[in-house]
Amino acid sequence: MSNPILQVENLQICVRKKPGVLILRGVSFHVNAGETLAIVGESGCGKSMTSLAIMGLLPDAVEKLSGTIRFKGRELPITDNRAMRKVRAAEIGMVFQEPMAALDPLYPVGKQVLEVIEEHEKLPRAMAWARVIDLLTKVDLPNPETLAWSYPHKLSGGQLQRVVIAMALACNPDVLIADEPTTALDVTVQAQIMRLLKRLQRDTGVAIVLITHNLGLVAHTADRVMVMYAGNKAEEAPTRDLFLNPRHPYTRGLLDATPNPERASAQGGVLREIPGTVPSIADPMPGCRFAPRCPNASDLCHARFPDPTYEGAHGYACHHPVTDARV
Amino acid sequence: MDRLKSLLTAILRDWMMLLGLLLLATVFFMAATAPLFFPQPPDTMMGPPLQWPGQYAGAPLGTDGLGRNILAGLFYGAQISLLVGFASVTVAMVFGILVGAFAGYYGGWIDNLLMRVTELFQTIPQFMLAIVVVAVLGPSIQVIIFSLAVVSWPAIARLVRGEFMVLREKAYVQGCIVVGMSDMRIIFTQILPNAMSGVTVMSTIMIATAILMESALSFLGFGDPNVTTWGTMIGMGKNNLRDAWYIMTIPGIALLLTALALNLVGDGLNDYLNPRLRSQRGQ
Amino acid sequence: MKPIRRRFPWAFLAKRVAYGALAMLAIAIINFFLLKLAPGDAAEALAGQAGTADPAYIAQLRAQFGLDQPLLSQLWAFLVRLATLDLGYSYVFNERVSVLIFSRMPATLMLMGAAIVIAVIGGIVFGVTAARYANRWPDRVISFVALLLYGTPPYWIGLMMILIFAVTLGWTPTSGMENVLAFNTGWDRVADIAHHLILPALAQSIFYLAIYIRLVRAGMLEVLSLDFIRVARAKGISERRLSYRHALRNAVLPLVTVVGTNVGNFLGGAVLTETVFSWPGVGRLMFDAMFQRDLNLLLSILVLSSFFVILANLIVDLLYAVINPTVELK
Ligand SMILES: Nc1ncnc2c1ncn2[C@@H]1O[C@H](COP(=O)(O)OP(=O)(O)OP(=O)(O)O)[C@@H](O)[C@H]1O
Ligand code: SF4
Ligand SMILES: [Mg+2]
Repeated sequence: MSNPILQVENLQICVRKKPGVLILRGVSFHVNAGETLAIVGESGCGKSMTSLAIMGLLPDAVEKLSGTIRFKGRELPITDNRAMRKVRAAEIGMVFQEPMAALDPLYPVGKQVLEVIEEHEKLPRAMAWARVIDLLTKVDLPNPETLAWSYPHKLSGGQLQRVVIAMALACNPDVLIADEPTTALDVTVQAQIMRLLKRLQRDTGVAIVLITHNLGLVAHTADRVMVMYAGNKAEEAPTRDLFLNPRHPYTRGLLDATPNPERASAQGGVLREIPGTVPSIADPMPGCRFAPRCPNASDLCHARFPDPTYEGAHGYACHHPVTDARV
Repeated sequence: MDRLKSLLTAILRDWMMLLGLLLLATVFFMAATAPLFFPQPPDTMMGPPLQWPGQYAGAPLGTDGLGRNILAGLFYGAQISLLVGFASVTVAMVFGILVGAFAGYYGGWIDNLLMRVTELFQTIPQFMLAIVVVAVLGPSIQVIIFSLAVVSWPAIARLVRGEFMVLREKAYVQGCIVVGMSDMRIIFTQILPNAMSGVTVMSTIMIATAILMESALSFLGFGDPNVTTWGTMIGMGKNNLRDAWYIMTIPGIALLLTALALNLVGDGLNDYLNPRLRSQRGQ
Repeated sequence: MKPIRRRFPWAFLAKRVAYGALAMLAIAIINFFLLKLAPGDAAEALAGQAGTADPAYIAQLRAQFGLDQPLLSQLWAFLVRLATLDLGYSYVFNERVSVLIFSRMPATLMLMGAAIVIAVIGGIVFGVTAARYANRWPDRVISFVALLLYGTPPYWIGLMMILIFAVTLGWTPTSGMENVLAFNTGWDRVADIAHHLILPALAQSIFYLAIYIRLVRAGMLEVLSLDFIRVARAKGISERRLSYRHALRNAVLPLVTVVGTNVGNFLGGAVLTETVFSWPGVGRLMFDAMFQRDLNLLLSILVLSSFFVILANLIVDLLYAVINPTVELK
């Protein structure tokens, strides 16, 4: 039934030259063509690092230690900038969190969309420009012909995020990674942007990796969810399954901290923190990294890292999974 | 005490700053010991003229066209450079801090007026203004110090104003205002100490600039005619450019190293005082 | 596809011109009081220091300055003369001061222009290189040399250049602006002047080169760490295009402002450079005026130079608005 287009296997990322300081501690997951995978987890758990690794855009201060990333069956050469340039935007597009800072202030927004097309496709200028206008129309921007010549500082955050989305989808990529695409926007605009993304997904069949803190958003938009904790994958399940039947105590904590995920977006949808703090990435804990905060923790948890368990499409890494379903 | 200790460890870790401090210490040493090593005034004839470095035992760095000992000139010149550099920047600091503090603290029309005047002084070409001040008041060390202060204070005033504008909004300052502390006390005992780190860094670098400007005035022959400075030595040496280039080269290197030292110390202080803004030049 | 034209900022221009006029007035007043600071009355100071103790001259100066009048009307007279560019007569040079200064302007502007071009281009090239190799050896070498140059007396660098390139190697002339005895015309003359220009322009640019290198390096590093650069990378565009089209243009913008604020320093520096290289410009004229104690000429140069700086700053502000679309001129 599934048709993985992007597969990440045992991805380990560490601080450069410090293999002991792991930011990602062996993360595996896949994205199916045309689906929406949500990645959630507390701040600092490695969501952005995962997406940057896929794009081959890891910051200089960190490096990949091991693992593979496969796109359409072949491995992505994520350390080879030259080769990755052909992948970026053309095959995998990315939308970032901060639309206000995402565009070069010195060029009209249309030109910045044009730049993507010119980089990846040999098209006559006029045709490429027509495509820019078409894209701006598709992302529901008013007066695209005029707006294309506006400079970024003239546009609102929501409008800028639409431009960034147009940029990311300009060359019809198969996957779109959206790293907290709505966090910086106000609530009504958030909903509009998410509706736009879903509509574009229906029209183009692009798979979306949605990174977010907003569980309400996840409930509405995602097909599957991956929960991360401190550089590990904690749990992974179809959305409904995860919400009704979370197995990992951390997931459970997250859901319980959001009283009603159905209404979470209306309330602002930000997660309330679970007591305690995430361990430092430099802390060499042998066992489960959630153990210090976990209500179910046992000596085993502190001693040994739990191997992932799968029940069909529902997977989790926990010695003592939660059993009672949420109502 | 702890602060001192942490400053010391910072210095030892930052070899560039260490180098700067060593160079600066050397210049101070030269200035302090000039009369000890060279009891004769530096403008007396000490030997045959135009002796190259190493040629004449009485003057290890050679003699100039009038037989004056270049090494002695360097030692005495250090006195003038340091005196002029530190004194003029001190005067500029006092004035710049006053102007900047009032402008930044009171804001409104006071700020507007003071800053317009400050900008005005930055509009007039600095070195030309210094020359004209010397021309009007006559060439003496005091006038040169004054003229360099006149051209240096605006930069400090603008820096202090910026810091004051930020700091006066801080809760602790607002607290002082609420409990009715007088403006003067707030300005000088509450805000100023916190604004000093930027001023210290800038002053260090401005001392270098002032020393270079003094040397330029002396080089042109507009300095105090009664003292020997590195600038005068270069100006004299210019006449022997072809046959005895060491005469102008040696004091030039002394100037360069002194300015370098002050800049290195300034950079080092900056890294130490504003660790957040650590310049990207090292780990 | 047709870009939208921005309207010319007339209101801004009017405001800046008004402000510039005020600043000029203030500078003139400062000058007036500087003259008042001189020992003795202004006429004596001017005449005595000009070396002509001729009583007729002093009397003429007195009348010219209206020294028997109250201070305010003296000031008024001074301003009126300034406004009509009646800067008086230089007995040292036997020429009207305004004529003297304006005839020397082109040489100074040429030298200044060349120095600015060298400093800006060099600053960009070396600054970008340093930023690209941040904390590796090319950066360390460039940064250290920049630090050295920053502390080097500019006139001394000029002398050393004469010693090395003119005297020892014989590549360039030692001084002057052209070989007048060669009676060159047309392109030969241009080439001759350019040949004479190389060393002084280099010498004058050195200090600013050092500043601009540091500035461009820091600017590039800062811009390269901004979000939009990462977004641009995610678009798949090349590092080259990224550096030059996006990062550099953003990093160089502040440089334009800094160059504007340095115009006055370039003029001040011209006194040294032109003296060292016997370059027949305003700076050299100032040196001569100082040497001959021609106080009136000296003050006139200071005032006109300040006016020039105000004008240059206005132009730079307009230019900045042209190249930076985010600036709203109000
Ligand atoms: N340049 C860097 N050098 C070293 N460690 C880094 C660097 N950037 C990020 N990290 C570490 O990587 C970890 C994961 O960061 P990441 O940005 O992926 O978190 P995130 O899950 O996206 O969090 P958020 O929800 O806040 O965006 C963090 O703990 C952080 O400390
Ligand atoms: S492994 Fe143990 S500590 Fe970790 S989540 Fe499961 S129960 Fe809690
Ligand atoms: Mg993130």
